[in-house]
Amino acid sequence: MKWARSILPPVVVGVLAIVAWELTVSLGRVAPFILPAPSAIWRELVAQRQNVWEAALASGTNALIGLAAGAVLGVLAAMVASRFKPLTEVSIPFAAVLNALPIIALAPILNNMFESTSSIPRRLVTAIIVFFPVFVNTLRGLREVDPIHRELMHTYAASGWTFARKVRLPGALPYVFTGLRQASSLAVIAAVVAEYFGGLQTGLGSRITSAAAFTAYPRAWAFVVGACLLGLVFYLTTLLLERLTMPWRTRLIA
Amino acid sequence: MSAVVVSSVTKTFNIGRTDEVTALSEVDLTVGDGEFVSLIGPSGCGKSTLLRLIADLIEPSTGTVTVAGKGAGQARKEQAYGIAFQQAGLFEWRTVLRNVELPLELRGMGKAERKARAEEMLTLVGLEDFGGHYPAQLSGGMQQRVAIARALAVQPPLLLMDEPFGALDEMTRERLQSELLGICAKTGTSTVFVTHSISEAVFLSDRVVVMSARPGRITASVTVDLPSRDDAGRQSPPFFDKITEVRQALRGTPLKTVS
Repeated sequence: MKWARSILPPVVVGVLAIVAWELTVSLGRVAPFILPAPSAIWRELVAQRQNVWEAALASGTNALIGLAAGAVLGVLAAMVASRFKPLTEVSIPFAAVLNALPIIALAPILNNMFESTSSIPRRLVTAIIVFFPVFVNTLRGLREVDPIHRELMHTYAASGWTFARKVRLPGALPYVFTGLRQASSLAVIAAVVAEYFGGLQTGLGSRITSAAAFTAYPRAWAFVVGACLLGLVFYLTTLLLERLTMPWRTRLIA
Repeated sequence: MSAVVVSSVTKTFNIGRTDEVTALSEVDLTVGDGEFVSLIGPSGCGKSTLLRLIADLIEPSTGTVTVAGKGAGQARKEQAYGIAFQQAGLFEWRTVLRNVELPLELRGMGKAERKARAEEMLTLVGLEDFGGHYPAQLSGGMQQRVAIARALAVQPPLLLMDEPFGALDEMTRERLQSELLGICAKTGTSTVFVTHSISEAVFLSDRVVVMSARPGRITASVTVDLPSRDDAGRQSPPFFDKITEVRQALRGTPLKTVS
C-alpha cells in the first residue's frame, strides 16, 4: 500500500505527459522532423528492438569499462592524495582543471590516436569523465574522519595502514557512492556522445546520428529512448550496489 | 604498584607563540590499584588534558606519567587501558558486536575467542540481545553502554573516562552510574573519571580530585566513603556532606564556613 502510494504519482504524471505529447503532435500537426509522436517512436522501438538491444550492449560495454576504470583510478588517486597532505592541495586544482576541460571534445583527437575500429578512445573518454566526481567525493570522504575515531585508533596503537583499512575507507564509502551515482549516468552519456565523432558504428550514438542523417526521426528517437534506458540501468545498478555495500544505511531507512 | 602515577607534570600548548597557554601546572596524582578517582573542576581546568596525558594522546611538556609501572606511551601500545569519551564514537558501519570486537581484533585475537569475549562484555552492560544491531539503531544511552563494553573488552587494568555520561539524560545517567560501579567492582578495574557533575563524582568515587583553572592544577582531594553505593547511598547524609565538601573545594572557600 505504502509502496503503491510512492510509485503511483510519478507513473500517473508520466502517462499524462505522454498522452499530452501525443495529442500535441497529432492535433497540432507538428512535423515529425521537429517532434515525432510517442506512438511513432514506440512503433520504431518495437521494430528495431534487436538493433536497439545490440547497440545498447555495445555502448553499455564501453560505458561499463570506462566507468570501472575511471572509478578505480579515482578511488586509488584519492587514497594516495589523502595520504600526503601537500598532494591533496595540489591535486584539487589539478582535478578542477581536468573537469573544466570539455573532455568529449577530446574524442576526435583520441580517435586519431587509435585505429578507426578501436573502442579504446570511447572508453578513455568515459574513464576520464568518470574520474573527476569519484576522485573529488572519495577524497572528501577520506579526509573527513571523526576525531574520536582517530583518537580511539591511536589508543589501540593501530598502524597507518590498519587505520586506513578499518576507519578511513569504510567511513568514506558513502562519499564514494555519491561520486559513483553521478559517474554512472555520466558514463553512459560520455560513451554515447563519444560515438558522434566517428569510429565504430555499433553503438547507440552512431545509430542516432545515422538515423537522423537519413531523416528517420522516429528511429533516431527510438535509439535515444534506448540510451535513456541504458543510463537508468546504470544508475539503478549503482543504487542497488550502494544498498548492498552499506547495509547499515539501508537498515536505517527500514 | 599504583595504577597511575603522574608526577610534577606541566602541559603548555602552543609554546613560544602569542597564544601560549599553560593547561596544567605541576600536577601530581596517584591512582591506587582498583581505586575509582574522579577529576572535577570548571571548564578549562585541564581535567580532560590530564586524562589525555595519562592516555598518551598528548605528551607532557615536563614531568612524567606512569601507567601500571610503565611509561604512558608503552602502556598505550600494550593497551593497558580502555577509554571512553563523551560521544560514544562507535563505528557506524560495524554492528554492535563487531564494534566491541575491534580492540581485540587489533590485538590479533582469534575470531571465535574475540566474539565470545565481546558477547561477554555486551552481557556485562546488558546489551546481549543487540549484538547484531547497528549503532544508529540504538538510543544514546545504549550507544554509550556499547562504548563502555568496548573500553572493557581488552580487560584493561585501567579505565579512562572523559565525561562518558555527559550527553545523557539524568535517568539514564544514574542507571549507568550504578552499572559502571557494578562492573568496576566485578572486574577490579582502576578508573579515572572526568566529570563536572559533583553528585556524579561523589557517588562514583573513592576519591574526588578537585582542580582549578588558569593554570590548571589540583587544589583538593576529597576521600569519599559512602555506606553503600545505591539509591539508599544517594539519600544518605554522608553523600550530601561530601557533595558540600566538594562544592566548597571547587569554590575555594574554607570548609568551616558552614555552620
